[in-house]
Amino acid sequence: MVGSPVLFVAIPLLTAFLIPLFAYIWKELVRIIPGIVILYLLVLSVSLYGQVLREGTIVEQIAGWAPPWGINLVFSPFTGLLSTLMLFMAFIIWMYSYRFKNIDFEPSKKYFILLLMLVTGSIGIVLTGDIFNQFVFIEIMSISGYGLTAFYVGRDSAEASFKYLIMGSISSMFLLLAIILIYSQLGTLNMADIASKAHLMKPEFKILALIFFILGLGIEAEIFPLNGWAPDVYSQAPGPIGAAFSGIVVKAGIYALIRVIYTLFDVEGSLQFLVIIGMITLIIAEMAAIRQDKIKRMLAYSSIGQMGLVLVAFGIGTHEGVFAALFLMVSHALIKPLLFLSGSYLVFNSTEKSIKELNGLGKFMPLTSFLFALGAIAIVGLPPLSGFWAKWSVLTAAANSGMLLVIGLVLAISIVEIVYYFRVVNRIYFFKKEESVVPKIPTINAKFAMVILAVIIVAIGFYPDLITSYLHEASETLLDKGNYIQNILSVAQQVTQ
Amino acid sequence: MNSIVIIFLIFLAGAVLTYIGQRLSNILGSSLFLLTIFAATAQFYLRVNTGDIFSFSLNGLEMEWGITPISWLFSLIVLGLGSMAAVYSISAMKAKERLGYFYFNFIMGIFSMMGILLSRDLVSFFIFWEIMTWSSYMIVIYEGRSVQKVGIKYFLFSAIGAYAMLMAIVIIYSQVHSVLIEDLVYSFSSFTLAYKIWLPILLLTGFGVKAGMMPLHVWAPGAYSHSPMAYSSLFSGALSKMGVYGMVLVFSMLITQIPEHLLIREVIAWLGALTAAIGTLWAIAQDDAKKLLAYSSVAQLGYIITGVAVGTELAMLAAIFLAVLHALFKGTLFMVVGAIEKQTGTTNLTEVTGLIRKMPWTFIAALMSIIALAGIPPLGGFVGKWMLYEALIASDHYILVVLIFFASTAGFLYCYKFLFGFFLGQEEKEWAHVKEAPATMVVPMLIFSVLLFVLGTFPGLLLKPIDIGMQELGYAASEGHYWTMSVLFNEYGNAIMLQPILYAIIAIFLFFLVFLTAKAFKGTRYVSTKDISSSGEVPGEFENLSFKENFFQPFLRAVEPVMKRQIDWYYTLVGNGMEALFNFVRRVYTGNGQTYAIYAIVFLVILLLLKSNLFG
Amino acid sequence: MDQVKFDISLIEYGFFISAILVIMIGLYGAMVKKSLIKIVIGLSILESGVNLLLITIAYVQGGTAPIFSPGLLKDMPLTVENIKALGAGMVDPVPQALVLTAIVIGFGVTAVALALVIRLYRHHHTLVIDEIKNLKW
Repeated sequence: MVGSPVLFVAIPLLTAFLIPLFAYIWKELVRIIPGIVILYLLVLSVSLYGQVLREGTIVEQIAGWAPPWGINLVFSPFTGLLSTLMLFMAFIIWMYSYRFKNIDFEPSKKYFILLLMLVTGSIGIVLTGDIFNQFVFIEIMSISGYGLTAFYVGRDSAEASFKYLIMGSISSMFLLLAIILIYSQLGTLNMADIASKAHLMKPEFKILALIFFILGLGIEAEIFPLNGWAPDVYSQAPGPIGAAFSGIVVKAGIYALIRVIYTLFDVEGSLQFLVIIGMITLIIAEMAAIRQDKIKRMLAYSSIGQMGLVLVAFGIGTHEGVFAALFLMVSHALIKPLLFLSGSYLVFNSTEKSIKELNGLGKFMPLTSFLFALGAIAIVGLPPLSGFWAKWSVLTAAANSGMLLVIGLVLAISIVEIVYYFRVVNRIYFFKKEESVVPKIPTINAKFAMVILAVIIVAIGFYPDLITSYLHEASETLLDKGNYIQNILSVAQQVTQ
Repeated sequence: MNSIVIIFLIFLAGAVLTYIGQRLSNILGSSLFLLTIFAATAQFYLRVNTGDIFSFSLNGLEMEWGITPISWLFSLIVLGLGSMAAVYSISAMKAKERLGYFYFNFIMGIFSMMGILLSRDLVSFFIFWEIMTWSSYMIVIYEGRSVQKVGIKYFLFSAIGAYAMLMAIVIIYSQVHSVLIEDLVYSFSSFTLAYKIWLPILLLTGFGVKAGMMPLHVWAPGAYSHSPMAYSSLFSGALSKMGVYGMVLVFSMLITQIPEHLLIREVIAWLGALTAAIGTLWAIAQDDAKKLLAYSSVAQLGYIITGVAVGTELAMLAAIFLAVLHALFKGTLFMVVGAIEKQTGTTNLTEVTGLIRKMPWTFIAALMSIIALAGIPPLGGFVGKWMLYEALIASDHYILVVLIFFASTAGFLYCYKFLFGFFLGQEEKEWAHVKEAPATMVVPMLIFSVLLFVLGTFPGLLLKPIDIGMQELGYAASEGHYWTMSVLFNEYGNAIMLQPILYAIIAIFLFFLVFLTAKAFKGTRYVSTKDISSSGEVPGEFENLSFKENFFQPFLRAVEPVMKRQIDWYYTLVGNGMEALFNFVRRVYTGNGQTYAIYAIVFLVILLLLKSNLFG
Repeated sequence: MDQVKFDISLIEYGFFISAILVIMIGLYGAMVKKSLIKIVIGLSILESGVNLLLITIAYVQGGTAPIFSPGLLKDMPLTVENIKALGAGMVDPVPQALVLTAIVIGFGVTAVALALVIRLYRHHHTLVIDEIKNLKW
């Protein structure tokens, strides 16, 4: 064994708190150490993932307490895929943030501490097999999220952060209520244990717990009408953090929601509910996006909409549906950060961050503009980029389940998406530059980070088979609930014997 | 390696290399540009045979590239027009900015069109279709900010069409579990009736957008007239033909399998005829040559759509024949306008005048294409239009014939306007400096003019491959050659040539030529230039009264009710309405954190109230 | 040991209802009050309410603290049965552990919230939430 899943939580958390100490040794370490840690975890995640694909799911018990009593971490083909994706995005974001905005020493310390905690929280959510532990990780993620959102003084960032905090508190209330309900009924907090005993629960309590979960996790997964905080946060947080939100944090939220709906309970109708709420989220968000005049806010609404589409795909419920949802998650996790990263360099020196200020930057910042345009083309699903294959998978999955209305609506909404993205791209390339705008050439590491994303997007676009087999494996794992329960509880048997 | 793959690789590598080369030096870029297109063309004609197939699997989908007789036929248009337009654009685009960008997208355009023709499965068809859309979109917006609205409109309509098509494709995939076109054709008869009707409609919407069919044509006039003319010839000549190609496939392979096919056929045929009629009227009203040609393209494609939709052997034959001819003459005409724009700096028909002596070769090319466009013998347009009329009459579409005939006759008006406006009339001092366009621009036009003449004289040259293609599409071969069904070939000529009619026409033509020349020899009588015509109207005091200014006023006044409002207007209305709605909807995000908290509680209450409905 | 049951008695109902009431009060504070400070207080009360509820479900009537001391096992042999029997008389320890965690988290959130309130006051010079709406639509 190369390493254990517990390192994914332990190392970054430890490093985060040690960073102030490193600062005493050499100030540059504050920036370097997080990168090394994330890179190490990424390598670890990739190698563990390979091992998991060969040998099956790894279940790690913390402190020797066997499930269902102790807390356990599950590294399956599904969670492994997500954690690898998140660490990769974290690495890209670290690379991009290195010397971003020439952050002074003091903020950079806070920035990287919070970033590491954000990553820890997100990965913890994905890996943990215990609902209360998941709650704790969600809180770690949210609190570092509040901090990162309010990172810049002088913008309206505190306002956004405060809204996020109100919603986050409500979310944690609902999560705790759901946990209380489950614990009072079943006397366990382990996901596998809950899943195997869910039928013992009184149906009305089960549905009530599900509703509390939907509210609590829906706030993190940005479903309508719980997503009011999201556009503010995305637009006020520093650029790379916007990318982290769309590439890492939301994905963790979606994961938690999906885990509840797919594994914890199988309440009839919950999948249809996902389709309905996902569709509403998609439609409202894209409608709101078209009239935005702030670039990041537009991207935020677009991101919310895409998450709605992911939920729709999960709601289809077939293997194809889950596959499509994962494809969309991966593809979105690559494209939206690219848009955020390049977009925030396009409006680097401006205080307004409005779309108007992008006018004519194509000539002054050719690479950044090109990458933004590429991301825009990819996100609206034009072939031959990865967005097309994701959209194609969603549509075929919907078609195979006979959801023609869903196909029609998704395509109609895509047209709206095309309109607002192309308006921006046209501005970048074909308008005259505003006099007041001072273009800023990205640092070399930021360029490198963005180019990596772009290359992957193009590669997947031309040859989707690069990732499809992993996605199939992952969706297989998610759907095979019996196997999940058995994997975890069998560890318990081994221990007791 | 498979020869089809090699072609694609040549295009892709060529596009990138040209882009890079253009950055290094102008000559390198241009020569790489030409080299790419000619290398691919040569590779295609020398190495690829009908029946070559390349299959592969991507994302779990079986895909196939291959070439059929019908796609070979359309590839003639693409590569022929593409290579000539490429030669033309070298001089036409000289000294323009961002040439690398232009060349790149030009090559990608041809690449994607070839891809569409070579795709034997729906997914690669769609992918190439989208590449075609965005590469042409990039050229439409080449001019910059002024055309951004035009560009968005073009892309929006293309997207609507493409997504209609994508919806059809995913439904087909869910039904057939294969994206190969042959599997679709094979199992189409087992679909339910609703699918049998809706799938072709969705597909036809997609193709109809590119072919500029009413009421989806609104993007076309702007897009055709705002792209650089070197590309417009390809755009109107070849790119729109991809829509026709798709329609041909749908009508001959799918719609024939529906028992209720007549209604769809009628509707599309009517839409085609209306497109032709209204497009013509709008063309007449234009004073700008680019706009005029753009509307004329819309109108001409209307004829083709009608022919394809009616779909009898003769109608299909006529439609495909017209499609090839349209590529030739409209390609030439756009090139002519491009040449004139380059030499004079304007394309306004009311300003430019008397270029016949300054640009004689351009004039000849324009004359030939105009004759072909108007459908006057002995050029090819006549053969095509004749066959179309005949097919329509033979299939009892009398009203359609009237409509098309009206469009065709009214078409003379703008043909005349175009020819007269630019070339004839008084020479003005303003244009005294104008010279003939460079040879590389003139030669492609002349080649096409000669081709037009050849095809008019020996239509069999083209009819034969069309014949083979149609047999591939499932038209029974029992009758032998389809064109023998036409009166034209039965009574006035043998199967291939139109000799008697041809000679008669040539004689008349020569006579007029001699007559005109003789008349010209008498010497020209000069009058002041701008008081020639008032078309029976009472002239105002300070009006430009040359032939070109408001020349068709009475006519336009007569058809005014039809032209009162562009369809654009309704689309704009819908679009603005949608945006207002969206603007209203986004106000749910009030900006107040407490409101969001209240939303959460309201959402909880709604879920609790509906829990028995939502969760079983 | 028979009298120890998980039956919900009147007292427990009282606990439940008062916990839920506290949650309601917290929600009211967070959703209706206009002052940022009061909202933060509301959220804090909300947390406490949830924590109370969590403790309530762990309550066993007449139960003792969940600590195994040697004195409890005096003369009994150390068998699984005996340990289980002893445990039944104790309050469930898991929710208490959870509540401890939740309290710490709640404390952290409140601290962040108050820090944000200070930032907001410096930026907007007001504590009325209706006037802090620069980000909308």
